[in-house]
Amino acid sequence: MIWPRVAILAVALLLGSAVSAKAAGPQDGIIPIGEYSTVKGRGLAEAHKTELAKLAEHIYHCLPWMGVVKNGIGFPHPNEAKGDDRYLSVWVSIDQAEDPRFGAFTLPQRVSAMFSRYGVDLLRRMIKFTDVQSDANVQGFTVILSWVKPGTAATAPISETIALFADKPVVADFLAQRLPAAEFAEKATFNVFDGKTKIGRVQLDIVQDDFNSTYKLKGYELAKGQTC
Amino acid sequence: MRSRITTATLAVAVMFLTWACSAADRQVWLEHNTHFASGEHAGFSFANNKDGSNPKVTRSDIDFAREQKWWGIYAVTVDPKQIMQN
Repeated sequence: MIWPRVAILAVALLLGSAVSAKAAGPQDGIIPIGEYSTVKGRGLAEAHKTELAKLAEHIYHCLPWMGVVKNGIGFPHPNEAKGDDRYLSVWVSIDQAEDPRFGAFTLPQRVSAMFSRYGVDLLRRMIKFTDVQSDANVQGFTVILSWVKPGTAATAPISETIALFADKPVVADFLAQRLPAAEFAEKATFNVFDGKTKIGRVQLDIVQDDFNSTYKLKGYELAKGQTC
Repeated sequence: MRSRITTATLAVAVMFLTWACSAADRQVWLEHNTHFASGEHAGFSFANNKDGSNPKVTRSDIDFAREQKWWGIYAVTVDPKQIMQN
């Protein structure tokens, strides 16, 4: 009876030889305490591990169109910050399909649109972690957004990235509308990258965009026990 | 008996080969040695209509898609060390 074996083999081949891979959970987004290079960094990660876990869980379950990159949440030291200044940091990659309207934007327009849509909302969510906000060892907030550069997805995808950090009072004043968007952009430190190539600062025009706080992913089933 | 097994095998093969398989899908498939990236990918494809008419997406589906890229290609992205130090 060789045919049953052939049948099983055929189905197995069609299904493919790929093995089951375990998905990364929200905990994989948090920088492990052992990876901090200074006592200050480790101390913050230890003191606020509950907040970091909550932030990772929140983004993971409530903003599923964003993926926190591995070790993307924590208290890293931005290269252009002073001394050992530490910032609550979130680095996400944003899933979006090719859109000819977005593709027609210039790089500064794309950066402005993405930061307006996702960056501002993330800052708003981050600042709500009052234990972090009130910790004198936390200098401010960092948001890093990456998305696939239009026109590259099908062949050789390249990520565009904005990495922005600002001190706590600057972020708080901007979010409370005490600081105009143009002044916030002026006071914030940021760089844009095309793949691995540093572009530096671009014209950042921040506009109001409530997409990230109102969008609902069609058919998305929130995990049991989770609320957003 | 043998002909019934042969027919069943062919039917299953045709079913898999035609499942959600457009010209674009075929091109991607031809560039890889298996149809699905994993069991999770296969499970998701079987549970959902390709036209998105009955989507059922869980957070772990999205994880698997991102992690395995489901035959996508990894993007060239800035190195974290170009931005910050832990």
